[in-house]
Amino acid sequence: MAYTGVTVSARSRGMVRESRHLLFTVAPGATWIIIFLVLPGAYLMGVAFMSNGTYGLPEMPLSLESFRRLAGFGFLGWSPGNLYTLFRSLWQTLISTGLVVIVAYPIAYYITTCREKWRPIMLLLVVVPSWTNQVIRTFGWMNLLAPGTPLSSLAEGLGFIPPNMGLYPSNFAVTLGLVYNFLPFMVLPLYAAFEKLDIAQVEAAQDLYASPVRAFWHAVFPQTLPGLLAGIVLVAIPAFGMYVIPELLGGGKGMMLGNLVAMQFSGGANWPLGAAGAILMLIATFIGLFAMRRIGKRLGGGEEVVI
Amino acid sequence: MRKRTLKRGLTGFWWLTLTFLYLPLAVVVLFSFNASNSAATFTGVSLRWYKALLGNEQILSAFGNTMMLAICSSVIALCIGCLIGYGMYRHRHRKLGWLIVLIYLPIVLPDIVFGISEMMFFVQIHRLTGLLQPGLLTMIISHVTFQIPFVALIVYSRFVGLDPTLFEAAKDLYATPVKRVVHFMLPTIKPALISAFFLSFTLSVDDFVISFFTSGPESATLPIYIWGAIKKGVSPEINAIAALMIGAVAIAAILSLTMSRRRQQ
Repeated sequence: MAYTGVTVSARSRGMVRESRHLLFTVAPGATWIIIFLVLPGAYLMGVAFMSNGTYGLPEMPLSLESFRRLAGFGFLGWSPGNLYTLFRSLWQTLISTGLVVIVAYPIAYYITTCREKWRPIMLLLVVVPSWTNQVIRTFGWMNLLAPGTPLSSLAEGLGFIPPNMGLYPSNFAVTLGLVYNFLPFMVLPLYAAFEKLDIAQVEAAQDLYASPVRAFWHAVFPQTLPGLLAGIVLVAIPAFGMYVIPELLGGGKGMMLGNLVAMQFSGGANWPLGAAGAILMLIATFIGLFAMRRIGKRLGGGEEVVI
Repeated sequence: MRKRTLKRGLTGFWWLTLTFLYLPLAVVVLFSFNASNSAATFTGVSLRWYKALLGNEQILSAFGNTMMLAICSSVIALCIGCLIGYGMYRHRHRKLGWLIVLIYLPIVLPDIVFGISEMMFFVQIHRLTGLLQPGLLTMIISHVTFQIPFVALIVYSRFVGLDPTLFEAAKDLYATPVKRVVHFMLPTIKPALISAFFLSFTLSVDDFVISFFTSGPESATLPIYIWGAIKKGVSPEINAIAALMIGAVAIAAILSLTMSRRRQQ
């Protein structure tokens, strides 16, 4: 009955109602995120361009001082400390992401070769450790790698580390902690990709006497690429901004960008410097996301990359 | 032949990886039963660290804070996120790119950037107006902020999975929008709401960085307490509280497994 007299005004009234509906459903959440995330984010960006006042709080004359400090120019001239931290963050991200890929590929493949009723349990087994708190997991590694533990003694016996040092704090411990932390995030998307794998292509490659390496490279790798890209996004971006693991396992020589930023808000307070570091992290995040999207689209798997 | 050795190698690698994944947790649980307070040698089984927990008021209050934070933030995030999820579904034909960006923002932002911008914001608001003193309230606000997107996406994907004609049928069946919501929408998305609530809850208990930066002196949660204890020098009591948290995760894992089993049958 309502449809008999559709007039322009009725339609526009409908549109108004729809708009009001949209506003009613979306506005609370959107407002929440804008007030409590976009606004603080904007404030953070602003602070990065202010100068450092008393007690580390930002003060007015706008300046690029904090970015100069971030690049290592201090009161005593240039020192490479911050740049080392930056390169260490990049390097640790690169190494740990690479290692995670190397471990996750066989695991994801192995799960798909097992019987179907076991697969959910196996996936759960991989994921469950990441449900425990990050601080607790890292604490577990501290217990394992401390001086005098079997692992440290083994490394000592093999001559990898000087006696009585223990495996932590060290850069090695940070890499290990990162790999441990992010492994599930790579296994899940890779598993999803392997599950959809067209096995006929692999068999064709084997029938044509391709070596396992070539069969992998030409038949398996392209098909699992969307999963791999999604995994890299899920691993590399949080790894670059990691705070807990380097703080607990790295010590002074294992510091990463996250620690440099956090330090500016506690001990050696300097908000603008910390904010500048955070901006650097944001830029890296968005470059990473953008690059993955581009690569994903070019390879035709664009929609399957989660983000 | 070659296939079988490959399979055997993979099986070995699988068990090796599982050992790698569970070793740190196992060590924590094992040493929580240690009779001596050494972190390196296990001397005998005792429950003394668990007994010590019960007498430790800081830990008990940290536990209370953790629960309070997780429950309050999850409930708020569930209400707000659910609305957004439905709005996104109902208006999916419109251009809502800005909304998608807004929703993904809390997910992609590195924890530390999230945490410090919230902290700076709350500190300045408090300085200017006296409101929002760092404490449980500011922690709840920031947790809700990172939980909303997950709730919204779960609810949205549940709606997308439904047959669109169901909505027409509901329109014919129930006269008022309120009845439609109560008798049709809420029952159909109930599974999504339950999983969204549990995900929010887990995210909140799991979070350390954002809580750490937005907390006040009185509002330490368990992860924050553990962090402080580690930084001060390892005390065996941490093993006990950490072991209890690992136990809770194990129970949650078994529950989720049996629930998904039942759903399949």
